[in-house]
Amino acid sequence: MTPHTSEHPGHWPSDRLRPALQWFAARGWSPFDYQWETWHAYLSGKSGLVHAPTGMGKTYAAWMGPLVESRAESTAASRGRPACAGLEVLWITPLRALANDIAAALQRPVGEMGIPWTVEVRTGDTSQAVRRRQRERLPSALVTTPESLSLILSYPDSTDRLQNLRCVVVDEWHELMGTKRGVQTELALARLRGIAPGMRTWGLSATVGNLDEALRVLLGETTDNRTCKRDAPTGRLIRGPASKPVEIVTLLPESVERFPWAGHIGLQLLPAVLERLEQARTTLLFTNTRSQAEVWFQQIQRARPDWLGQITVHHGSIDRQLRTRVEAMARAGTIRCVVCTSSLDLGVDFAPVDQVIQVGSPKGIARLLQRAGRSGHQPGRVSRIYGVPTHAFELVEYAAARDAVQRQRPADTDSCIEARVPLKQSLDVLVQHLVTVAAGGGFREADLLAEVRRTHAFADLTDDQWRWAMDFVSRGGPTLRAYPQYMRVAERDGRFVVANPRVARLHRMSIGTITSDDSLRVKVVRGATLGTIEESFIARLRPGDRFVFSGHVVELARVRDMTAWVRRAGKSGGIVPRWQGGRMPLSSELSTAVRQKLTEYIRGIIDGPEMQAMVPLLELQRKWSRIPEEDELLVEQIHTREGHHTYVHSFEGRLVHEGLSLLFAHRLTRQAPRSISVSANDYGFELLSPEPLLVDESFWRGLTHTTGLLEDLLACLNDTELARRQFRDIARIAGLVFPGYPGAAKSARQLQASSELFYDVFREFDPHNLLLDQARREVLEQQLEFVRLRTAVERMGRCRRVVVWCEQLTPLAFPIWADRLRAQSLTSEKWSDRIARMIVRLEKKAASEPAHRERRSQRNRRVRRAS
Amino acid sequence: MQVEWGGEQLELLPERALHHPRASTLFIADPHFGKAASFRQLGVPVPAGTTSADLDRLQAVLTRTGARRLIILGDFLHARMRDAQHTLEVMSDWWSRRSGLETIVVRGNHDRRAGDPPANWGIRVESEPFDDGPFLCCHEPRQVAGRFVLAGHYHPAVMLEGPGRFSMRLPCFRLGPRTAILPAFGRFTGAKAFRPRPGERIFAVGPNEVVQVKVMP
Repeated sequence: MTPHTSEHPGHWPSDRLRPALQWFAARGWSPFDYQWETWHAYLSGKSGLVHAPTGMGKTYAAWMGPLVESRAESTAASRGRPACAGLEVLWITPLRALANDIAAALQRPVGEMGIPWTVEVRTGDTSQAVRRRQRERLPSALVTTPESLSLILSYPDSTDRLQNLRCVVVDEWHELMGTKRGVQTELALARLRGIAPGMRTWGLSATVGNLDEALRVLLGETTDNRTCKRDAPTGRLIRGPASKPVEIVTLLPESVERFPWAGHIGLQLLPAVLERLEQARTTLLFTNTRSQAEVWFQQIQRARPDWLGQITVHHGSIDRQLRTRVEAMARAGTIRCVVCTSSLDLGVDFAPVDQVIQVGSPKGIARLLQRAGRSGHQPGRVSRIYGVPTHAFELVEYAAARDAVQRQRPADTDSCIEARVPLKQSLDVLVQHLVTVAAGGGFREADLLAEVRRTHAFADLTDDQWRWAMDFVSRGGPTLRAYPQYMRVAERDGRFVVANPRVARLHRMSIGTITSDDSLRVKVVRGATLGTIEESFIARLRPGDRFVFSGHVVELARVRDMTAWVRRAGKSGGIVPRWQGGRMPLSSELSTAVRQKLTEYIRGIIDGPEMQAMVPLLELQRKWSRIPEEDELLVEQIHTREGHHTYVHSFEGRLVHEGLSLLFAHRLTRQAPRSISVSANDYGFELLSPEPLLVDESFWRGLTHTTGLLEDLLACLNDTELARRQFRDIARIAGLVFPGYPGAAKSARQLQASSELFYDVFREFDPHNLLLDQARREVLEQQLEFVRLRTAVERMGRCRRVVVWCEQLTPLAFPIWADRLRAQSLTSEKWSDRIARMIVRLEKKAASEPAHRERRSQRNRRVRRAS
Repeated sequence: MQVEWGGEQLELLPERALHHPRASTLFIADPHFGKAASFRQLGVPVPAGTTSADLDRLQAVLTRTGARRLIILGDFLHARMRDAQHTLEVMSDWWSRRSGLETIVVRGNHDRRAGDPPANWGIRVESEPFDDGPFLCCHEPRQVAGRFVLAGHYHPAVMLEGPGRFSMRLPCFRLGPRTAILPAFGRFTGAKAFRPRPGERIFAVGPNEVVQVKVMP
């Protein structure tokens, strides 16, 4: 830490800061430079964004400003009399799990500095009694989530209750930005600025690739459309101390030939992981999916029964109370290992954690750094992360990630770190906001339009889009005929208000933009709630079937009232459920780094243990086909019993590959009647057809032209489920479908209709509904990354292309093939038998090359079965 | 799709209706008329047109089959219709112009809350189980010894998976040994996946045809 000297640059009102400094000194702390800078900026009326690694005091950087300011004002006004100003600081956090910890941290200096402030929490977990009290009187500082903030804004007296707000702090802004919750936050901030014009906004963020943009989005742009005057935001970007050096160590399989070429459970390295767990006091073991977490937890428990009670599992579907208990244990250091997912990526500082392990692909550089940063918080310690590859090519990913991290650090630029792209024009969120504001006392149309356009998300909102959104909430559609007797928002005396109290009640129940599939509560018969599970999984089970959940094997008893009742079922194995949303794509930064690694290999540069280990497999790839250079497009063709496979290895990330494969299939089926099925992974995609595909010049000419690219993509979207699936979020956010959560009023249950149904009905009866457009646009921008896809198509049209006829699936092609089978059906036994056979066959082939033999079918079956 | 069931020749129609030619009777289940209107009432924007589209489809299938009787296996009305003036007008108009059609509604769980349709529509309303010749007409599927039961209520849908990753979710007929379950007729009703029982035949409803699907054991 930097010693505090009185010769700090600049001139700040150090009188006002004295209590804060004394409080720091009493703890033996001295402020970091960036904390000084933040306090100073705040006290001189500025807003801004602070970015610093976890565990470096960001919370107090943002908190002390408002605290000392209020203290100085109240002592100046009247000595000793407690201030009675209502809510002064709002602290927004993306995770309600963090709210209590933050409130405790905020409370600490308040009491000790003698400031008459109250600090409270308001999230979805807050009890009815506390909510009622807060309806009467808000505390001085409130820690809340974006959803709960919208809820506060939906009450008619919000304007009175929030007008003394002096500061809003948005914690973990990098997590919110780029999501619809971020858009929701932008709109809420604009509303708050309308209510309390002097309010300052401070964001706290980890490092992302686009910090300047993050600041602009947070503060919004003061655009006045009538005068076309655009003021730049006046915020400050404050950089905290550089992050600790990160060391990436990959656990290596004994021999890469015996290591699977595909798959994502990766238990082969379990012994090595157990060894690591022995050597640390507390380990966080991150996985990429919840199912992976369940499997790893089960396997560690089986391998080390003596660690009973010292290992636990934590993911987003596990019951809140259980998770809180796990978090407390991690903080106290009384647990050996927490197997977790992104649910523990954020927030609270688990100081005792001295080791982090990542199972599976690192997926992105920023993500790996963030996870690594969860350990080694003691001063002077290195943050070390152990990578556990689950299949061979993840070795290359770890090597590539390390390269990217090293390239980034000395120059201290963030160029290799992924950016978070803020969303624009999310009309579903706007529609929700309109109803929120209508319920919260109503609005005049022109005023709200101007306010909404001050956000980054809606700065370019057209008059037509606004008109449509207003029509959608007030009369359903552009004509009165289309939605008879529709009532949601009505105009009364020039103000738009909710049509009736019932609409407001329903709206408050549905506020929120986090999507979850229809989920059921999992509850032990006459016992505790274990968490939630997706209905689509339970629908495939019969009473008596066993599955693994929250670290237990349970047996389904019955399903009733949105609850899956289960009984504990001892130790024997069960199916591991798959949760939606587990398949994150490799970031483009990381896939570029992987290509560079392969090119280095071709040039004979084999550095690092991972690349050393990869030699036999890459040699096999070279022998059976070739290793693509950075500027080369490798196409592999092979004929199997399934048909003719064409693998295109373009290394553009899974999202782009999904789009490309759809586009190619669409254009090919238009050229001639044929059927083609497609699949994609991070490295490439596959076209499978019953007849051979001739990949020649005319093939590329026909497929890689950019004329009509958008139209073609939109055309194939209509034939797929992508847009329909995307509509799920939109329907929820726009208030079309209501979460069927347990305990919901009967009136809400009567409103059950699926988003798919809405999608179909809109397409048939209101095809110009802009929410349909939005679904298509979101698929293009977010799911298919249209801009990147177009660049990829152009590049494919020009680059050096090599077509290789193969006799068997190569190390590069096999994972794509295996992924297709997984996507097709996860539960039936059939595919796993098939995949096992396939590996055996490939291995026999490989066995005649270098010497090795091990049969693997048994082990591979275990990939899906917990025991 | 022609099938033999309960000792009778039946037709499963892509309009989500079941035709019994010998009795000149058309069966449908779960139209849930007025559902869209009740959503709009509560501030959920559902475009108008679902009711008319359902009635047009009903007319088309009546014309094509020439059926003189229509039996609705429950959930005729979704909710109380007092505020759904628009929908009431459309429906009233439709039934008033079809005096030659004998319509029987077997009350379902929604009908019990929604109340019976206005008397001047000329619709006969019965409680389940309603005995109609070879069949026992119900809303909720049930086992009755020695009888063949026609029912609705479940809104069954089947998930089909093809090569690659193509999958489709389609409404379907479920023909068990003694109980047949019809898909929901209403356009704005939704459908629910289920797990087939042993000995059950499943017929998926495509856009223009009904096909029997293979069920993996």
